[in-house]
Amino acid sequence: MSKKRTKRYWKSLKERDAAPDVLNARADEFPEGGPRQFRRRDFLKATGFTLGVAFATGCSRAPVQRAIPLLSQSEEIVPGRSLFYASTCAGCSAGCGLLAKVRDGRPIKLEGNPQHPVSRGGLCATGQANILGLYDSQRLQHPLKDGKKSSWAEIDHEIQSELANVRRDHGAVRFLSGTITSPTTRAEIREFLAGFPEAHHVVYDPLSNSALLDAHEQTHGVRVLPRFHFDKAEVIVSFDADFLGTWISPVGYTADYRAGRDLDAKRVSYHVQFEPRMSVTGSKADRRLAVAPGEMGLLLTHLAQRVARKVGAPFVSPELEASSVDSVFLEELADRLCRARGRSLILCGTNDLQQQLLSNYLNHILGNYGSTLDIDKPSLQAQGSDKELGELLAELQDGKVKALFVYGANPAFDLPGGDGLAGALRKVPLLVSFAQRVDETAALARYVLPEQHYLESWNDAEPVSGLVSVSQPTIHPLGDARSLVESIATWNGKPKPAYDLVREHWKAEVFPRQKKESNFDAFWDRAVHDGVAEVESLPIKTREFNTQLVRPILKAQRPETGAFALVLYPTVAMLDGRNAYNPWLHELPDPITKVTWDNYASISPTAAQRLGVVDGDVVRLENDGGSPEAFELPVCIQPGQQDQVIAVALGYGSKLSARFAKVGPQWLDAIISVGDKGVVGLNAAPLLRLSDGVLQYDSAQVKVSRTGRQRELASTQTHNTLTVPKKLTPPGSGARSVVQETTLAAYLKDPHAGVEDHEEKEDLWPTDHPYPGPRWGMVIDQNACTGCSSCVIACQVENNIPVVGRDEIRRNREMHWLRIDRYYSEAESGQIEVAYEPLMCQQCENAPCETVCPVLATVHSEDGLNQQVYNRCIGTRYCANNCPYKGRRFNWFNYAHDDQLQNLVLNPDVAVRSRGVMEKCTFCVQRIQEAKIEAKRRGERVSDGAVQTACQQSCPAQAIYFGDLNDPNSQVSKMMANPRRYRVLEELNVRPAVGYLTIVRNCSQEGKEESKEEHHG
Amino acid sequence: MAEAAIALRPPLIAGDKSIAQVTHDVCAPMEARPTALWWVALLISSSFLLLGAAAIAYQISVGVGTWGLNRTVGWAFDITNFVFWIGIGHAGTLISAILFLFRQRWRTSVNRAAEAMTIFAVMCAGIFPVIHTGRPWFAYWMFPYPNTRGSLWINFRSPLVWDFFAISTYFTVSAMFWFIGMLPDLATIRDRATAKWRRKLAGLMSLGWNGSYRAWQRYEVVYLMLAGLGTPLVISVHTIVSWDFATAVLPGWHATIFPPYFVAGAIFSGMAMVLTLMIIARKLMRLEDYITLRHIDRMCKLVITTSGIVGLSYGTEFFTALYSGSSYEQFVFLNRALGPLFWGYWTMVGCNVFIPQLLWFRRVRAYVPAVFLICILVNVGMWFERFIIIVTSLSRDFIPANWFHYAPTRVEVATLLGSFGLFFTLFLLFCRFIPVIAVAEVKGVLKYGKPQLESAHE
Repeated sequence: MSKKRTKRYWKSLKERDAAPDVLNARADEFPEGGPRQFRRRDFLKATGFTLGVAFATGCSRAPVQRAIPLLSQSEEIVPGRSLFYASTCAGCSAGCGLLAKVRDGRPIKLEGNPQHPVSRGGLCATGQANILGLYDSQRLQHPLKDGKKSSWAEIDHEIQSELANVRRDHGAVRFLSGTITSPTTRAEIREFLAGFPEAHHVVYDPLSNSALLDAHEQTHGVRVLPRFHFDKAEVIVSFDADFLGTWISPVGYTADYRAGRDLDAKRVSYHVQFEPRMSVTGSKADRRLAVAPGEMGLLLTHLAQRVARKVGAPFVSPELEASSVDSVFLEELADRLCRARGRSLILCGTNDLQQQLLSNYLNHILGNYGSTLDIDKPSLQAQGSDKELGELLAELQDGKVKALFVYGANPAFDLPGGDGLAGALRKVPLLVSFAQRVDETAALARYVLPEQHYLESWNDAEPVSGLVSVSQPTIHPLGDARSLVESIATWNGKPKPAYDLVREHWKAEVFPRQKKESNFDAFWDRAVHDGVAEVESLPIKTREFNTQLVRPILKAQRPETGAFALVLYPTVAMLDGRNAYNPWLHELPDPITKVTWDNYASISPTAAQRLGVVDGDVVRLENDGGSPEAFELPVCIQPGQQDQVIAVALGYGSKLSARFAKVGPQWLDAIISVGDKGVVGLNAAPLLRLSDGVLQYDSAQVKVSRTGRQRELASTQTHNTLTVPKKLTPPGSGARSVVQETTLAAYLKDPHAGVEDHEEKEDLWPTDHPYPGPRWGMVIDQNACTGCSSCVIACQVENNIPVVGRDEIRRNREMHWLRIDRYYSEAESGQIEVAYEPLMCQQCENAPCETVCPVLATVHSEDGLNQQVYNRCIGTRYCANNCPYKGRRFNWFNYAHDDQLQNLVLNPDVAVRSRGVMEKCTFCVQRIQEAKIEAKRRGERVSDGAVQTACQQSCPAQAIYFGDLNDPNSQVSKMMANPRRYRVLEELNVRPAVGYLTIVRNCSQEGKEESKEEHHG
Repeated sequence: MAEAAIALRPPLIAGDKSIAQVTHDVCAPMEARPTALWWVALLISSSFLLLGAAAIAYQISVGVGTWGLNRTVGWAFDITNFVFWIGIGHAGTLISAILFLFRQRWRTSVNRAAEAMTIFAVMCAGIFPVIHTGRPWFAYWMFPYPNTRGSLWINFRSPLVWDFFAISTYFTVSAMFWFIGMLPDLATIRDRATAKWRRKLAGLMSLGWNGSYRAWQRYEVVYLMLAGLGTPLVISVHTIVSWDFATAVLPGWHATIFPPYFVAGAIFSGMAMVLTLMIIARKLMRLEDYITLRHIDRMCKLVITTSGIVGLSYGTEFFTALYSGSSYEQFVFLNRALGPLFWGYWTMVGCNVFIPQLLWFRRVRAYVPAVFLICILVNVGMWFERFIIIVTSLSRDFIPANWFHYAPTRVEVATLLGSFGLFFTLFLLFCRFIPVIAVAEVKGVLKYGKPQLESAHE
């Protein structure tokens, strides 16, 4: 073996003489790696080729897979620092001003614009939540034709050729939209429709105020919505107008209302609310009367008669039926109104012409026009006309409409027609829907044109005549969407970007309406910077008040015995259903009922007793017309509701909510968030009535019967009063002093009234926390708080708070860091009163949570914050158990964060928490740090007001003060020194850094507490 | 004369056993093949153990959300089970240490099993503080170990840290006590063993015990010292466990009465559990001569004593609430008795205060089935006591808006059953492999070898 073989054998001579490598090759039948060796030169060649190809392909433009922001740095953008752009909220037609916080090229939060005259710094819950719509992965990314993906070029071509046919045939063209306040858009639509012989624009609001405008047309000769000045009103009487909650422009109204209730200036308006159900506004009223909807007109007549008599106006109403409201009270109210002539305000929120006329008449004889109601500079926030809508629906039924464009409206969902209307819409030869998502109407449309989110495009708005607001894009459009104005301009034959369209319109129409600025560019830049420009309002010709048409309403319409009057109402979160895609808003507890993820049938406790139902029992509502569909809804017992009223929220049951089938943690015992029909809640729009030319929200009668089934409501608060159940009440103890309140009479005598005193305990120990620098603290004015919940959403957006879904809420595991506790109590008069108490981590000085954590995951900071260290937390939950306020939230599961697009909304300054750790309000520590760094850079102390917490910023009522308690001149220190200030559970000596200011109810009695009896709800 | 003395003070071990007989009686079950009954019992208890293990694995992989807890009630079954098992573990140390120091020689028949029970119960208890955390894989952060995470350390102000020390100390000392006490018996096993592995193993475990005078002498000294060490632990462990609640601000938890109340409760439940197990064991393993009615009688007396303390504590809590003038405190106790969990409260009072009163009657104490039933009920009652203390206080505290109820999920119930599975599995294995009665100690209390005269004088 070791011996080398040298002898060579061959088979033929050829083989013997051949070259040795050929021989070798022959021996190896299946050579590996080819005949050639890979040499150094080959390597270099291959490398060169590869590099060459790589360079060559790199020259072409590859499709953008991921948008990497700011590859080429913009001048003003510093990574990690936020920029604020003024814009206008398009969440509803109120047109509030906002500041979009843009971080590294993406908007992450919307805040109120303090300089905007409409909203004055606040922003409502829906406005805040709109940002989630921008990052909605189910938003339409491209145009659809017959439900299939198409291109703009193709669609433009087809629509234009079809429109040419319609024009030739003199076919009817209709443009159906919600209220559009944008002057540019309105002008474009006008120009577009002018190109057709038979075309017009129909405006309707699903939450209609048509009768209010119609009434002004009759009394003043112009169809306008007056601008209300709540701040100038000393007496406010509202007939079912939920102006602090959902009516027309709640943010602006709340700011005005708050201004009119200034306790320090001892100027407090007196607010009376007549309403069938408990609304946000009713919950703040000084005197609230539960009245059946059918009686509203009668009451208006009663009041009008009394006021007219007192002011000497002719108003004859013989044979007036007696009302259910105490006539002594009405007399007193009339007196008060007469005393406050020109400084009072009558509001009517019902969509009934006769009632609106009476309300106008009252305002007229009280001399309120021109002072608390402005019709010279009217509001444009609601323009819908139910009459025109009715006509359009009739035309649709007759098949007369040849082309219908639907924008900012969802008639197939929010109108009563149901399947009939859907069929009529299907009959329209050219149905074009401008929509962000495929909603009920878009599903019927031949062409669905994706509309841009308002944070992606240029636009404008004129919510109040003379106030023109700019909307500017804050991000490159995320899909292949196009704004309405661009589409129409294209079809008008003048395709232009929205920026040019808005600018040109401003140059031509808006700029001439002012005289301050002579240069358009400067005017424009100023407007874009401020977000708003004040110009002269368009002249309006009103005529002398026409009392001819004002007629008394002599009788109340009462439901038949055994039947209920049905009231359909919008909720703060869902409004007309436009927000049904938004999980934050579904999870936002209703300000009054605290129920999430459902709509329900609200009934009064008495009615519930009569029907023998409790919360969660499913009842069947049958329309008196015998509606084909039975409405089955769980009951929610609502104290303060009129006994013959059943109230159901609109806006639920939308197709857009079908996506929530899998929201929240999915585990063994998880229950899905949607109902039997695969959507959240039930659409109550089929119960609406369009009759007498108006949409009627409260005219239907229903019969209610039990089904025997149960559907537990996911409520965030189950115990509704401050008194403990009677049999468990220890002898001698009354209501818990968690909420402290007083009356105006008592307050004027002693501002400290109603505040429970607790002696300051002298500490034997040296102070644990000396707070050498600032000490952050907060004061919440409960008297100003309306419970509107915009702070809850602001906190959710700011602090990356996850959505947990209906089942988790049902299990009392919501994650909101800030909650608003709502308590009912019963006044002497039998009136149900409501107290709101926004509660978050109280950042205690003697924090019970800090001592019990075994791993020091919650510690006290030098500036008074109770810090939670997520990385260190192991989740024993001891801190939460030991928190008297229960302000802590535990991550029971890993909450979903797998929607990459939706994750763009996350605030990069705030950690996303994993499962198993505790979390809670941080006083927006990221904002404090930002301000501190900025102050340090400038070598200054953090100035008062430099830190605004998210909740404080968004509050329309400015009920939250925040700042340094160690600075005696800071606003928060002054508020802490306010005699109304108390602390929740002060007796525990945990020394919270959050103070509360008492609720002061404007009523003449003193010492209300003693006579008051708590209600058991 | 001797007969008269026997009548006056009957012997602790009946049946007039000889020393060899004792050894044989105790070792016989270990040396024979396991009975079918044993197999059945093991099958059942290990099935429960597996069920519990599955539940825990699911809970750890998905989250604590699989339990019925919520933002108001942050602890419920988890800490209830923890305190319950720690309480069960109490009787062992009491019998082995305190009764030893008090020269209660009747303890010799039951101390081995009671100590085993202690150790198994503490093992069951130890599971819960770990799995109740949100991130159990970081539970070791409660341990003060040197780390490279800068100045991160534990919080010595937190009762959970005290708990950690108390329980680990308790477990260590109990285990050591048990093992030291077992040395002579392990040597007996070694000497009797026929199988090679058993001889080797027992030989290893008995640490070369040779039965010499010197070995005995040192053994006794160590045993006495450990008993001295163990005695304060009986008091300290449950005192510290009670601080988990007593140091909190929550009405219903924040009570200075908790330490004695909890210790008494623990001894109460522990004794009941010892009785439960011993009654089964003496029947199944035919140890009636060793664990006699006299043993049962004495343990019953301990049960009734501690029941009295527990009952007094319940009453005192109400008085303190009334006397404090705090309406929150007053409400919590009214809510316990009359609120939504009233049935749990009255189960607790019934089982812990009223039913044990039957033990005042000698005839009840002598009737084993009755004692067995009462002991089971006491254990049920004591579980409810912890449940009521934890859940009622949390679910309705200061601010009514926070009030929320609690209901366990399937996962939680399975975890509780699993802890019982673990306990009984370990106990069954113990019965198979270790002498359930301390052979060497029992021999010391036999009549054998004692001068007749001496017993005549007694």
